[in-house]
Amino acid sequence: MKRVILALVVVLGVCFAASAVLAGGGGPPKNLIKGFILKVNPDHTILFKKDVTGEEITLVLPPDMETKDIPLNRKVLVSLKTIDHEITNEVKRISIMFINLPTSKVIALLVVGLIGGLLSGFIGSGGAFVLTPSMMSLGVPGAVAVASNMCHKFPKAMVGAYKRWKYGQADVKLGLVMAASAIVGVQIGIQIQKYILNHWGNAGSNLYVSLMFVIVLVVVGTYVFYDAYKLSKGGKEAETTKIAKALQKVNLPPMIHFKQAGIKISLWFTLPVGIATGMLAATIAVGGFIGVPGLIYVIGASAVVASATELVIAFVMGMWGSIQWGLSGLIDIRLTLLILAASLFGVQLGALGTTYVKDYMIKIVMGAVMLIVSVSRGAKIPGYLADLGLRAPLTPQTTALLDSVSFWSLVAALATAGIIITAAMIRGMLQARAEQG
Amino acid sequence: MPNKAKKGKGGLFIKTLVFGALSLSMYYLLFTHTDWVTSEYTKGGWHAAYPVGTALVFSFIHGTFASNFLSLIGIEPKGSGH
Repeated sequence: MKRVILALVVVLGVCFAASAVLAGGGGPPKNLIKGFILKVNPDHTILFKKDVTGEEITLVLPPDMETKDIPLNRKVLVSLKTIDHEITNEVKRISIMFINLPTSKVIALLVVGLIGGLLSGFIGSGGAFVLTPSMMSLGVPGAVAVASNMCHKFPKAMVGAYKRWKYGQADVKLGLVMAASAIVGVQIGIQIQKYILNHWGNAGSNLYVSLMFVIVLVVVGTYVFYDAYKLSKGGKEAETTKIAKALQKVNLPPMIHFKQAGIKISLWFTLPVGIATGMLAATIAVGGFIGVPGLIYVIGASAVVASATELVIAFVMGMWGSIQWGLSGLIDIRLTLLILAASLFGVQLGALGTTYVKDYMIKIVMGAVMLIVSVSRGAKIPGYLADLGLRAPLTPQTTALLDSVSFWSLVAALATAGIIITAAMIRGMLQARAEQG
Repeated sequence: MPNKAKKGKGGLFIKTLVFGALSLSMYYLLFTHTDWVTSEYTKGGWHAAYPVGTALVFSFIHGTFASNFLSLIGIEPKGSGH
């Protein structure tokens, strides 16, 4: 088994090196440049100084862009228009890289960090599906939000994984095996994204992402929630699924014994789950929503072990992603650290909460969150369909309503998770104290 | 036995205080130098070591503080004897 682990370390090392060389592992789009706008010229162009190299270039502003609002001498992100995949010198959008942080935004980041961390520690998800949109709603540019969250995700996952390993829940070997194939899955997911972007543009890409989101979250979320509901009513312990039992019986070398999970299964059957996790992470930024159910229903791990082991996967993938975003200089460390300030409490609370609840409670929280978040994403779909000309354009009132539904259902997902986890923990702790007393 | 428990709690209190002070100092240091930080940390290339390394160091110090704090106020995993 030491040879298997050594082989995995080599594979991971190769993946790191490959992603650095290929630079295709989830880094920023090529038409995104950062630097400083030195001045606005009378002919509706700007003099732009690129960061690091200091090269000064002239960029053309779109005709409808107001020049009076253009920030001067502040670090900005400029996305450039592309024609037939060639990057032009025409500006599409200018975003200030570092948002101001008044007290209200600091508090918002701490609250989101705390509940996101709680969710991570409990169900194993990295939390990007709430943290990234939350940062963007505070005015953070998309690329910076993704990068800063990634840089927060891996240390948080590391702390959570460590705690749950101490509680005897995380199977590190299983996590590393899955992480290796997940990284391959990320590459595949990115290539699919690029293909869709090239053929159907931004609108097509957004539609694909939202459809994947809704299909996976509704189908898997319903199944997980229904399974948890049956267990909570029936009072029986969760059983390994027929699929998992059948796969575990197949003797296809190399067979790996995952001691903590109590499973012996062929390496080949772990690959699809890992690759699917990576593909989904690349597509909708949440690998855990396939990874954890995959570990439970296909590999045969318990919900406790699956959610704990997912944190190991999240740590590896988060570290790998952060290095790439860091290489492009897009991490706003202030946001990362503010979220970490609270999420390091949240993740440890969520982790120890799992020791007080029955296995099915993890599935209830996961299923509930997945179903509510699917509403949040689903509300965006009519807009993308309209952008693609597949339906009539939406009125401004409808767009505003759908945006509101999308935002508030995300808030509802966080609130629901926070309430269920806290209530379950308090109940469990009181019960434990009563039994001791 | 009660003396041992008191000493244990005392030790935990000191650890919480030490790591809490360290964490607060690091946050203070970083947020009073945001201009330099936001500039240097986003230069790309080898500068990636700054945000990645900072996140690791902060999570170790602050994570330990959080862990000790939770234990100090009696929030522990089930079966840990508290």
